[in-house]
Amino acid sequence: MKFFDLLQTAFLNLWRRKLRAILTVLGLVVGITSIVVMISLGLGIEKATLDFYESMGSLTIIDVQAGSYSEDGKYVEKKIDDQSIAAFEGVPGVQAVLPMLNLYGLVTSGKYFTNLQILGVDAGTAETFGFTLAEGAMPTYSRGARSYEIVFSPWVLQSFYNPKTWQVAVDREGNSLITKNSRFRLTFDWMNVYGNQSMETPEGYTPGKFYRLELVGVLSEENYNYSWYSLMAKDAVLRLMKENKDFVYAQEGYQSAQIKCVTMDEVASVRQAVMELGYTTYSALDMVEQAQEQTRMLRAVLGAIGAVALLVAAIGIMNTMMMSIYERTREIGIIKVLGCRMGNIVTMFLMEALLIGFFGGLFGLGLSYGASALINLWMARGGGMGMGMGLPFQSVIPLYLAAGGVLFSMVVALISGLYPALRAMRLSALAAIRNE
Amino acid sequence: MEEKEVLLDVRNLSKTYRVGSVDIHALRGVTLQIQKGESVCIIGRSGSGKSTLLNLLAGLERVSGGEIVIAGKRLDRMSEGELIRFRQRHVGFVFQSFNLMPYYTALENVAFPLAFRGMARRERNRDAKHILQEVGLETHLRHKPAQMSGGQQQRVGIARALVTNPELVFADEPTGNLDFATGDEVMRTICDICKAAGRTLIMVTHDAHIASFADRVITLLDGRVVEDSSNPLEEK
Repeated sequence: MKFFDLLQTAFLNLWRRKLRAILTVLGLVVGITSIVVMISLGLGIEKATLDFYESMGSLTIIDVQAGSYSEDGKYVEKKIDDQSIAAFEGVPGVQAVLPMLNLYGLVTSGKYFTNLQILGVDAGTAETFGFTLAEGAMPTYSRGARSYEIVFSPWVLQSFYNPKTWQVAVDREGNSLITKNSRFRLTFDWMNVYGNQSMETPEGYTPGKFYRLELVGVLSEENYNYSWYSLMAKDAVLRLMKENKDFVYAQEGYQSAQIKCVTMDEVASVRQAVMELGYTTYSALDMVEQAQEQTRMLRAVLGAIGAVALLVAAIGIMNTMMMSIYERTREIGIIKVLGCRMGNIVTMFLMEALLIGFFGGLFGLGLSYGASALINLWMARGGGMGMGMGLPFQSVIPLYLAAGGVLFSMVVALISGLYPALRAMRLSALAAIRNE
Repeated sequence: MEEKEVLLDVRNLSKTYRVGSVDIHALRGVTLQIQKGESVCIIGRSGSGKSTLLNLLAGLERVSGGEIVIAGKRLDRMSEGELIRFRQRHVGFVFQSFNLMPYYTALENVAFPLAFRGMARRERNRDAKHILQEVGLETHLRHKPAQMSGGQQQRVGIARALVTNPELVFADEPTGNLDFATGDEVMRTICDICKAAGRTLIMVTHDAHIASFADRVITLLDGRVVEDSSNPLEEK
């Protein structure tokens, strides 16, 4: 038989028993809807988890600490120096490496001062690692300039206070007295701020220098990972360290480094490589994996609920098909006598099952989109907070879930229809001869 | 007189049904030959085995013993799939209770067996329309079985059996559900068309009057052929 004739015959056979066909399809609609919505919730929760950690810090960044602990718990020293930075850069999958060149300083502005944690960066690297500016430009360094360019962390301007009275530098309305246009000076000598509190000047003491600062920008508050740093050019930091050996603790190499991978997929292999070099690594992905482990159980339960609904629908399809075959025993006999091939009979019944599966999947998908929209509306109103889910999440139905849902529905229907179709094929042609 | 050609050759055919622990011998060794173009009526009382013989000849049931050769092929050795293909190519079947698809029109019913052969709709309908004209139903193409009389329905049944141009047409009590006058008309139609096209017609009936339409009458009793003649009833 021609494909279209088979399809038409199958459709007509279903249409002859409209109510029963519709009820069977409805069963499948409920099954598919529940499984699609459950999966979409699972996906939504996973996405919300990922987004949450993404917002806390890029998931492609690996934190590297000097040294490592051997299996028996002993600390094995291994410094991070320029050589190891170059080694990190050579690992496949690494986009950029940021050595954490830290400098702790004091900034004065008039009679006020504040502490400053300075990070020495290259402008290009800073951008790769997601330092974003609320305003201004990245700091540069030119030898012999009369001032040092600096970018403040977002909270520096609000944290100035008077070292003698501990008064915070704000006016009566709470506005900061220190603004972008204030004059800033940097020093590393605590006595320059607090005075000599031991009343005794150590031998060979020469007061630390003051350096003029030029504020060229302010970092955005979105830099969750780096928000406490103020930025200076790397060479500027190195120079200041050299000039203030007496006041800053200048260790060899870097305390730590950060590695940015090209994508999340490379994080694991890059970490492995860096660990083999003898360093300790941390990644935000660890937390994500932990969180995913926690939601896995929830998703399994959601999936099981959907699967049960679908199983009931599959049994419904089988029942409908079996009923239909018993009713049509004679008809099947007649078409066998008329020369309808065995294969055609199987195909015809499988097509009926497939049609049920197709419409069940299609309408189920429509209902899923509706249910998904309702859930999202409810979530948007804060309904999800009461459920103790912690994170606000959205039910998402990606295209592959939509297509997969319809396909799965058809596969389920096909499997349910297989046995009835084979039964129909084996029915005797003699049924046509018997006279009622 | 054209040369006689044996279309159907049956040798020592037997069929045994097992009901509980008792064997019922429906056919006890039937041997007969039927020529191409012959119209044969198998007659006998209820339980004589005539319906069983028809079912075996049409390949609807498996034989218990003996052999059936139709157009040089061993029917008793075919698988069910092969039997269906054989029926599709060589056999038309007219049922006692018409067995039309109630939700199809006369035209669709007649065109239905052609669909099994993978014929396109347009050609199917053309052939079906043509054969419906032959049985005198050109005005009822769009009628559904429920809108037609018994005689008309059986004409549709005959058209459906003949639409595939089969060499062999089986009819199982074709007038069993019709009144006397209508039965006669239907018999005339089927015999005329088969004869005109040179088709072999094998009917089963218990009605001696119906048997008078055939060239040859084979009488069965208790699963055996007891009489085989060139229509002796007509001569009486």
